[in-house]
Amino acid sequence: MHLKRRQFLATTAAATAGLAAPVTLRAQAREYVIGASLPLTGPFATAGQMVAPALRMFEALVNEDGGIGGVPIRITAEDSGYIPANALANYQRALATEPDMVMYFGDSTGFMKLVAPELRGANARLMGSTSFASELADPAGNPYQYLPGPSYEDQFDILLQQVKDEGGSTVAFIFSNTEFGRDPIAHGRAKAEELGLQVVLEESTREQGADIPTHVTRLAQSGAEYCILQGYVTGVWPQLIGGARQFGLPTRFMGTFWGMENAIADRVTAEAGPILDGYAGVMPYRYFYDPERGPAYERFAAFQKTAFVGTPLENYLPTWGIQALFSLTIGVEALRRVADKGLELTADNAAEALSDLRDWDTGGFFGVPVSMVNNKIGTGRVYRYSAETQLFGPSSDWFTV
Amino acid sequence: MITGNLKTSYGADEQVLDNRWKRLFLFSAVLGLGGIAGFGNDYIILIACQMGIMVIAVTGVNVVIGYTGLMSLGHAGFVAIGAYATVIFHNAAGGIIPDGVLTLVAIPFAVAVAALAGIVVGLPSLRVKGLYLAVATLSANFIILFLIEESFSAPWTGGMNGINTPTPNLLGWALDTRREQFILIAALAVLALLGAQNLFRTRVGRAFIAIRDRDYSAEILGISLYRTKLTSFAISAAYCGLAGALFAYFYARILPEQFELQLSLMLVAAIIVGGMGRMMGPVFGVIIIVMVPEAIKVSFGALAGGGAELAMIRAPLQEIAFGALIVGFLLFEPFGITQIMDRALRALNRWPFARG
Repeated sequence: MHLKRRQFLATTAAATAGLAAPVTLRAQAREYVIGASLPLTGPFATAGQMVAPALRMFEALVNEDGGIGGVPIRITAEDSGYIPANALANYQRALATEPDMVMYFGDSTGFMKLVAPELRGANARLMGSTSFASELADPAGNPYQYLPGPSYEDQFDILLQQVKDEGGSTVAFIFSNTEFGRDPIAHGRAKAEELGLQVVLEESTREQGADIPTHVTRLAQSGAEYCILQGYVTGVWPQLIGGARQFGLPTRFMGTFWGMENAIADRVTAEAGPILDGYAGVMPYRYFYDPERGPAYERFAAFQKTAFVGTPLENYLPTWGIQALFSLTIGVEALRRVADKGLELTADNAAEALSDLRDWDTGGFFGVPVSMVNNKIGTGRVYRYSAETQLFGPSSDWFTV
Repeated sequence: MITGNLKTSYGADEQVLDNRWKRLFLFSAVLGLGGIAGFGNDYIILIACQMGIMVIAVTGVNVVIGYTGLMSLGHAGFVAIGAYATVIFHNAAGGIIPDGVLTLVAIPFAVAVAALAGIVVGLPSLRVKGLYLAVATLSANFIILFLIEESFSAPWTGGMNGINTPTPNLLGWALDTRREQFILIAALAVLALLGAQNLFRTRVGRAFIAIRDRDYSAEILGISLYRTKLTSFAISAAYCGLAGALFAYFYARILPEQFELQLSLMLVAAIIVGGMGRMMGPVFGVIIIVMVPEAIKVSFGALAGGGAELAMIRAPLQEIAFGALIVGFLLFEPFGITQIMDRALRALNRWPFARG
C-alpha cells in the first residue's frame, strides 16, 4: 500500500489522538476540591464554627445532585484565625496540595484584597467570600472574585432609598473606624445628596468597646431622623441603639448585612429589653424562617434536622451560614455551566460563566430571579425587627440596584 | 574532636565559625536555602519567604531586647514604616528614577526612615525601663498605625483600604515571582544575620551588652546611655524597616491590619523562644513561630482529613498543641532553642568523650 504524505499525516494524527484518549480520560479529576479558610479561632470564631457544618451540608447536597459535571466535590477547610496572611498561606497550601481545586472560599475582606493581585495564571481560582466590600466587585481588574449579594455601597443605596420613600430628610452615618466600616461612607454621602437627603452626622467609632455616651450625644445634637450603622457584627450597634433609647432619641436605626442576624437581635432583646424594636436593615437573602422560603432552604432544613441534631443548627441557619452557602452556590453554578459546555474548569472559564448568571432562579435565597452584574448581585430587601415576634420581617419589596 | 584551646592566631580566635560542626551547619543551611529556591513548591516558597522576612525583623528586635535589654512591644510599627515608605517611595519616584535602580534606592530609603522613627520612639527609653518602656513602645505602634490609617495620609498609604505594592526590580531583573523574591529575601536575611553577628564584635555592640548587663555601670565606664540607647533603637528599627520593605515587595498589597499588636507580640515571642541575645535566636524562634504552626496544620490535616467539620475540631487543638509546645520550650529550656542547639553542637564536637 502506498501512502501519500497527507494520508500519512492524517493517519498518524488519528492514531496519536486514539492513543492519547485514555490519557485524557485518566487526567480528568476523580473529585473537584473547593478550598476554604474559616475563622475557626479568633474574634469571629463564633461565626466560623457555625459556618463549618454548613459547608459539610453543602458538599453532601451538591454531590447528591451529581457534583460538577458528574464529578463529586470535596470541601477542605482550614482555620485562619481571621488573619489575612494566615488565609493567604491556607490558599497557597491548598494550591500546592490540591491539584484539582477549582474554587476557594475566603473569610475576610482583608484576605480577598491581599490575594487578589496574586490570582494570575496557574495561581488563579474562582473565589467567593464573606465580604461585601465594594472594591471587590471589579470584573476588569479582578475577574475571579465575586460578591454573593449587593456591595455595602448598594446596601446603603437601598437603605437611603427606603429613607426617602418613608419621607425622611436627615440621616446620620455611624460606622466603625475600620475598612469595613468606612467602605460605603463616601458613596453614601453622594447618594444621599442625589436623593435630596441631608447627612447631618458622620461619626466613626471603635469597632469594639466604643464610647457609647459620647456617640449618642453627638447623634442627639445632630437631630438625625435616621441613623445608618455600618461596620459592626455582634457589638457596638446594639449598645448605640440602647444608649439612644435611654436618651429618649426618636431616631430610626438601620444597618447592613452583618448587623442583621436574628440570633444576635434576640440575644439583645433578652438581655436589654425591646430596644431593637423597629430596627431595620438590608438583608440580601430570605431569613431561614421565612414562610415563603424556596426549595433550597427546604433541603437545608431537612438535612439539618437529621445531621445536626442537638446543635443550634438543627432548626436554624444563621445569616452568616446562608451567605456562605449562597456564595458557594454561585461558584458551583458557574462551574457547572462551564462543565456543561464541555470546557475545562479553569478560573478564566468560570469567571466568564459568572457573567452568564442572568435572571437566575436561586431556589429561594432571593425572592426574585437575580443577575450577576459586575461580579455582584445587587439585590436585597429591607427587613425590620419586631421585639414582639422576635423576628426580622420584610418591610419592603425586593430592590435591585 | 577538640582537645584544648589550640588557636594559634588572632584570626583563628576571631573566627565566627570556630569549629567544623558550625561550618557544616552553615553550609547545610545555605544548601537548604538553595534547595528551596530550586525545588520548593509555591507553598514552601511562601512560608520560607515569610520566615526570611520575620528573621530580619526578629533580628532587629533582638538588637534592642536581646542585646541592649530594652523592652519593646512596638516593632510592628517599624515594619509598617518600612513597608509603607517603600511603596510611597516607588509611587513618588516612579517616573523620576529608572525602574532598575528604584528598588536599590527604595530599600535604603525605607531602612533610613524606619531608623529615624526608631530614634523618636526610643526617646522614652532614656527615662523609663522595663514594663513602662514596653507600654511606651506599644503606644508608638498604635500611633504609627493611626497615622497610616487616617484620611489625611490615605492618598499616600491607602488608609484603611491598604495599597497595592510594586514589583522589585534589580537592575532590570524584575522579581515578579515568589521564587525570585525568595532569593532576594534569603540573601538579605543571611546578610542581616551576619551584620548582627559582627555588630556585637564592635565597640557599639559591646556597649549595648554593657547597658543590658548594668546600665549605670556602663555609664561609669564612659558609655553614653543617651547615644547608645538611641543607636540601639535606630539599628533595631532599621532591621525592621528592611523587613518591612521586603514585606511590601512580597505581598501584592499591604493593609494596616497586617502590622497590628499581634505582629509585635509575634516578634517578641520569637526572640524569647529562639534565644535572646544570640545570633541564631531569631532563626530558631521564627522556625517555631512561623513554621511549626504550619507543620501542625499540615500534620493534623493529614491525620484527620481536611473536612470543614473536622477543621472545627482541629483548629482549637492546633492552637493548644502550639501553645503547649511554647510552654514546654520555656519550661525545659528557658534560654531558648539556641541553648539546645549549643548543647547538641558541643556534644557532637566532643563526641565520644563528653556529652552536653
